Amino acid sequence: MPASRLARLAAVKGQIAALEAGTRTPSTVLPFGDARVDDCLPGGGLPLGRWHELTGSGMETETGAATAGFAALLALPLTAQGAVVWILRRDDLYAPGLETLGFPARRLIQVRVRDETAALMALEDALGSAGVAAVAAEIEDVDLTAGRRLQLACEKHGATGFVIRRRPFGGASRKTATGSAASTRWRVSAAASDPPPGEPGLGPPRWTAALERCRGGRPGEWTFEWRQEADHGSHPLAVASGLAGDGVAAEDRVRLRA
Amino acid sequence: MGKQDATPKSQDLARQSPTLAASPPVPPHKGEGGPLALLITEHGTRRLHALDAAARALGLYPGQKATDAAALVPELQTHDADPEGDAAALTALGDWCVRFSPAVALDGTDGLFLDITGVSHLWDGEAAMLEDLLARLARLAANGIRAQGAVADTAGAAWALARYGEGPVVIPSGGQSAHLAPLPVAALRLDAAATAQLPRLGLTRINRLLGLPRAQLTRRFGPLVVRRLDQALGHAEEALVYRRPPTPWFDRLAFAEPISQLDDLVRVAGDIAERLCERLRTEARGARRFTLTFHRLDGKAFPVSVGLSTLGRDARALTRLFAPKLETIDPGFGIEIVTLTADGVELVSAAQGQLDNSRAAMAEEGLTALVDRLSNRLGEAQVWRAEVFESHVPERAVRAVAPMTPAAATRWSPDRPRPLRLLAHPEAITAVAELPDEPPVAFTWRGRRHRVRLSEGPERIAEEWWRKPIDAVSTGLVRDYYRVEDDVGGRFWIFRAGLYGDPAVTVRWWLHGVFA
Repeated sequence: MPASRLARLAAVKGQIAALEAGTRTPSTVLPFGDARVDDCLPGGGLPLGRWHELTGSGMETETGAATAGFAALLALPLTAQGAVVWILRRDDLYAPGLETLGFPARRLIQVRVRDETAALMALEDALGSAGVAAVAAEIEDVDLTAGRRLQLACEKHGATGFVIRRRPFGGASRKTATGSAASTRWRVSAAASDPPPGEPGLGPPRWTAALERCRGGRPGEWTFEWRQEADHGSHPLAVASGLAGDGVAAEDRVRLRA
Repeated sequence: MGKQDATPKSQDLARQSPTLAASPPVPPHKGEGGPLALLITEHGTRRLHALDAAARALGLYPGQKATDAAALVPELQTHDADPEGDAAALTALGDWCVRFSPAVALDGTDGLFLDITGVSHLWDGEAAMLEDLLARLARLAANGIRAQGAVADTAGAAWALARYGEGPVVIPSGGQSAHLAPLPVAALRLDAAATAQLPRLGLTRINRLLGLPRAQLTRRFGPLVVRRLDQALGHAEEALVYRRPPTPWFDRLAFAEPISQLDDLVRVAGDIAERLCERLRTEARGARRFTLTFHRLDGKAFPVSVGLSTLGRDARALTRLFAPKLETIDPGFGIEIVTLTADGVELVSAAQGQLDNSRAAMAEEGLTALVDRLSNRLGEAQVWRAEVFESHVPERAVRAVAPMTPAAATRWSPDRPRPLRLLAHPEAITAVAELPDEPPVAFTWRGRRHRVRLSEGPERIAEEWWRKPIDAVSTGLVRDYYRVEDDVGGRFWIFRAGLYGDPAVTVRWWLHGVFA
């Protein structure tokens, strides 16, 4: 094939990818560094300059700890590029706990809001600001209109949003997850840790994360483990060895549920 | 204008009779004609408290018994005085005067001091300013406020000339002694004993005091006489208690036609911010807080303020922060004057200016603007960054600092794992432990039972006993923290309060946090 045709083909492929991703600008990605996860995501990694939705299950909807920890680790590689803003309605995020996960709390600006509207407003404002690399927000529900607005705000300076769906004072969310403008939707729950044999105590924290919805990608389910000695460049979340989700089966399960 | 001299110029305004002021206690239909007095009850005796000019002319005086006065002047009309109402009215008048100068001090029950250093140029001179002030006071309220005023280098001289001088006067800088000399000694703000004693010794005028040896004066009349004299002449400093700290960073706009439209308010906010920011820029300074005050036609003032996380002087950014707050302003019949003050003014360091074009500076600027927007919309305490507080007690280990302050070097120790969610108050759990000093094998929290699969600990944390009275300290305040993981992967931070073996202490289990 002549080079010119190859180039045209590549351009068309890029346009199709952009259409599939549902945005106007081609996006950069943050790879997990593991083909089992990256192959399910468009462009081979977590899309940046988009917003992502994280939901919990069971008791998680009350405490929001596993989802918050997972979001913090997704945002961790972005702290080098700018500040991270965390918007909360209930002030129970504990900065030393973030540092325990290796997240630099000095890069984190916390914002406490009174209600859902204020939370969305602050989230949109923060996403559209220069100097902000990522924004995490604990919000009950993001409807389609709000989701589109968040997406436009993300595109301004390329900030990445993480919406942690959580009711501020416990209980299951009043609204069930509907179609939204989020780039990906994850269902996160804590998973039993696996301490090294012969050592007492708890192992590094683990999460079961199901990628339920992904624009331009495929769903999947994996068990991640916190990589404690994350050297430079590697993602702090690693797929736990021996427990990697069997991608196809998980996909089927998600389809059945949907 | 004596901007160069160190002594602040003070303007004193003395109201003739306190109770005929901004909130007149007299119904208007009774006010015409006849002598009028306000009464106050002192030790069971009704006495005159304040008099109008007609009553004064008949020889009545404050402090006279009401029955005596009624016998002398049968047609005297009397009403009850309202000292609290007067004080409130004077405070309101002080706030109203902020349109002239941000530094207003209340003086007793019937006077105001205005520090007009660096402000009078807005009126083209001190005389014009004084005239404007008195004219506006005369138009204020239903009956107007009869006021006298003077401008002088010192508060003492201004006080004396406002109360004992003839008409409004502006004393040139350093000219106090010439103007004070012919005034009675009472003009020195002395106590009652000295005011009564000095004239008896022939010292009726201030010029007689000037030549006397100071040591003798002090010995006979106490230190107050000499101090007041020095303060009036500018030889001694006098500290006035201002309603807000004086600032030279002040600007005002007055309108020929009152404004009330929201668009106009936003525009004038922009205009006045532009003027003050231009001054800040020429002196290479920035401010941390700006207060914009709208003065209504009826004398009410509505202040709105914005705080900045870093030194700022960008008029457009400032206007954007003010704009949403202006909706709360009730313009009534219209706004006639707008003032803007800047607080926390500091030199902007040169380093900040040099970064202007780089990418890092843009990011910094964007972040600063975001923090300013959020903290002005949501409240300053709602936007923060967590910083280390040196304490082992988990709930005290974090303190909130302003987001843009430089980060401290200290970090939380990475050896001690901490939960991601810390409950504001530990919640009681029922726990089953096999041995007293071991972590539980199961516990119930919020009605749900968790079987413990893995555990780690204990980490003993003692209460900070030095923060309590000594008899309140007990082993019941010692906490042994465990990290536990239940069979489905939930990780919790639980602790046992109290030690076994102490009969006075009941051991209880608590859940304090949830790990990610």
